[in-house]
Amino acid sequence: MALPLTKRVGAVVAAASLTALGACSSSGQEGAQGPGGAGPVTVEFWGSAIGLDKAVALFNQSHKDVKINYSQISPGSAGGYAKMLNAVKAGNAPCLGQVGYDTLPSFAAADAVEDVSEYANPSKDKFVPWAWGLSGIGGQLFGIPVDLGPEALFYRSDLFKKYGITAPTTWDEFAAAAQKVHAADAKAYLTTLPESAYDLGALTWQTGSKWFGTKNNAWQVTIDNAQTQKVAQYWQGLLDKKLVVSEPTFDTAWYKDIQDGRVLSYVGAVWASALIEENAPGASGKWSVAPMPQWTAGEKASGNRGGSATAVLKGCKNLKEATEAAVWLSTDNGSVTSLIQNTGIYPAAKAGQQLPTANQPSEYFGGKNIYAVFREAAANIPEGWVWGPTMTAVQPDFKDGLKKVGAGEGTIPELVTKVQAKTVSGMKGQGLSVSD
Amino acid sequence: MATTIAPQQDSHVVMARRARRRSAGHRRTRSALLFLTPFGILFCALMLAPIGYALAQSLFRVERSGLGLGAPKNAFVGFSNYLAALQDSAFTASLLRVVLIGLVQVPLMMGLALVLALLLDSAVARLKRTFRLIYFLPYALPGVSAAIMWSFLYQPSISPITAALSRVGLDVDLLSGNLVYVAIANMMTWSYTGFNMLVIYSALQAIPTELGEAGRVDGCGEWRVAWHIKIPAVRPALVLTTIFSMIGTAQLYNDPEILHQVSPAISSSFTPIMAVQESTATNNYNAAAAQSILLAALTFVLSFGALKLSQRKERQS
Repeated sequence: MALPLTKRVGAVVAAASLTALGACSSSGQEGAQGPGGAGPVTVEFWGSAIGLDKAVALFNQSHKDVKINYSQISPGSAGGYAKMLNAVKAGNAPCLGQVGYDTLPSFAAADAVEDVSEYANPSKDKFVPWAWGLSGIGGQLFGIPVDLGPEALFYRSDLFKKYGITAPTTWDEFAAAAQKVHAADAKAYLTTLPESAYDLGALTWQTGSKWFGTKNNAWQVTIDNAQTQKVAQYWQGLLDKKLVVSEPTFDTAWYKDIQDGRVLSYVGAVWASALIEENAPGASGKWSVAPMPQWTAGEKASGNRGGSATAVLKGCKNLKEATEAAVWLSTDNGSVTSLIQNTGIYPAAKAGQQLPTANQPSEYFGGKNIYAVFREAAANIPEGWVWGPTMTAVQPDFKDGLKKVGAGEGTIPELVTKVQAKTVSGMKGQGLSVSD
Repeated sequence: MATTIAPQQDSHVVMARRARRRSAGHRRTRSALLFLTPFGILFCALMLAPIGYALAQSLFRVERSGLGLGAPKNAFVGFSNYLAALQDSAFTASLLRVVLIGLVQVPLMMGLALVLALLLDSAVARLKRTFRLIYFLPYALPGVSAAIMWSFLYQPSISPITAALSRVGLDVDLLSGNLVYVAIANMMTWSYTGFNMLVIYSALQAIPTELGEAGRVDGCGEWRVAWHIKIPAVRPALVLTTIFSMIGTAQLYNDPEILHQVSPAISSSFTPIMAVQESTATNNYNAAAAQSILLAALTFVLSFGALKLSQRKERQS
C-alpha cells in the first residue's frame, strides 16, 4: 500500500479522475549517463510520500558523482503504480520508484523490477531481517526497505480506567475486556472489526504462519491455513456476540467515535499514531499504546501492516548507483531523521530506530515514548512473510467480504476459504504456477 | 421524405440552375471540409484510435509462467476475454445494476427537471434568476466534493438525516441493503437535475411568445399551455437530455466509488466502470478493454434505441 499518511487523500484522488491517470510523463533516463561519461550519473526517482524530496536534497548535497532527480507522483493506489508500470512498458521508467511491500511481488510478476541483490547484499545487516525478506522473492531482491508498519494496541487509557480494565496482554483478556466494556455501556465497543486483507494479514502474521510462499518456481497460496482460521474464528466470535462494531477506520465517523468514546481501542500500525493525533484532537493526552495482545501469555510477537521499499525498476542503466543511492536514503542517519520528521515513516533500518527523532515522547499519547513499544514490536515480527503477486485482487476480495460479514452476510472463516480459492484461480488465470 | 418532381420547364434553364448549384456546392464542400478537419483529426486521435486500441487489446492475453518473473508474452485469444467478462457474475450484475438505476432514476429526474423548467418559465414566476442559479448550483459543484458531502450525510453515526429519522422512531441505515440504491439515485438527481432543467428552460425560451398568447386567447390556462404548447415544443431538448442522462448513468462512478469506502452494500465492482478500474488495478488491461467495449456497446444500444423510439413517436404524432 501507499504510505499511510496519504491514504485518504489517495482514495479521493483516485475517485476524482479517471482520465488524469492515463497521462504519462516523458521524463525518463534522459539525464542518465554511464559511469565513464562526463559529469555525475543522474538517477531518476518517483515517489509519492510527502517530504521525500527533503531526504533526496540531503543526498544531492552530500554526493558529487551521483545525483537523484526526484519527481512527486500520485500515491500507488491512486494511479502511481499504474504510472510506473506504464513507464516500464514504454521504456522510460525511472531507476527508482516507491513501492509498497505488498505490491512489489506484482511488480516482479509484471517484469517491472530489476534484481539488485548483487549490489545490495553488503547492506543486508543494516535492516530488520523480515523487511529485507519483503523486498524480494526467491533469493532475488527488487528494492531497498524504507519503512515499516509494526503493530501495537492503541487504547483510550482514560476510558479503560473508567470501565476498570487494564491493557489486555492476551487475546483472551482482550475478549474479556470487550465483554466488560459492552456490558457497562451498550453503545460502547472495545474495537472495530478487521476491515481489510492487511488487517487480517497482520493479525495472521503475528501467529507466525503466512499466506504466500514460493517453492520450485511455483507460488504457494496458504491464505486458508489453520492460523488464519484461528484468527478468523476469534473475530467472528466477537462479532457474533456483538462485542465489536463493523465500521471503516480512518474515516470521519470513526474519528468521531474514538473521540466520543464509542470505540475504545485500535489494533494497528505505528503510522496510525499520526493519523489519530491529527484527526482526533479532542482526545489529546487520553491515548496510550501497549504491545499487541498475544495468543500465548508471555510472548511478544507482533504483525506488520504497510511499509514500502525503494524499488529498482526495469530498464535502469545504473543499477549499482541507483541501489547505493536507495541504501543511503534508507540508512544515513541524516536522511532517516529527515524521513521521520517530514514524511512520518517508521524506519526499516535498525540504527534508524534508535535515533532520537524516532524516540520522541508524545504529548498526545500522555507524554510517553510510544515508539519504544513499536521498536520492540518490530524486533518481534516473525520472519518469512511474503505477499502474493495479486494483492490488488486479494485486498478488494477481503475488504468487500469483511464489510458484508459486518452487515451479517456470511462469516470470516467462510470468507477466508472463498478468498483462498479465488486467489488461486486468479493466479492460474494469469498463467502463474501455483503448487498445491 | 417529400420528393419533388421536376416541373415541365424549359430544359436549359434547369441545366443552368443545376450548374450554378453545383459550383456553389463545390465551394460549400471545400469549406465544410476545412471546418471539419480540426474536429476530424481530434475525433480520430482521441476517439477512434483509443477505441481501436481497446478493441485490439481485448483480443489478447498476457501469459506468464512459473513465478511470473521474466518477460510476459502477449497471446492472441480471440473473444475469450469477452466470454470471461460475460461469465463473470460480478460484471454482468454491475451492468444490470446501472440499467436498473437508470430505468428508475432517469425518468424521475427528467420529470423533475421539466417541472422546474416549466415553473421558471411560467408567467407568474418571481425571482427567476435566483431560482435558476439555485437549481443549477449542485451541478457546478465538483462531483467528488458533492459525493463526499453526501457520504457524510448518509453515514449512520454522523448523519443528521439518520439522527432525525431515529428521533421519530425510524432506525434506518441509508448505506445498507437496497436503500443504498435510493441514496445513489438521490445523489445523481441532486447533481444533474439543474443541468437538465437549464437545457429544457433554454428550449422553452426559444418558443415564440405568440404561440402561448394565441393559446391563452383561445382560453387555455397555464396548465394547458404547458401541456399542449410548451412540452411538445421542447421535445428535442427532452430527448437530448434523456440520452445524456442514460449515458451518464451507464458510466456511473464518482458517487458509488466514494460511498464504497463507507457502505457495506457497495462492492468493488458495483458499476461497470468500477469493475473496469478493478481489472486495471490488477494489471489485467486485456480484461479491462473487453469490459469497456461491452459497456460501450450497451450504452450505444440503449441511447440509439431511445433516439429511434422517440423519432418513431414523433413521426406518428
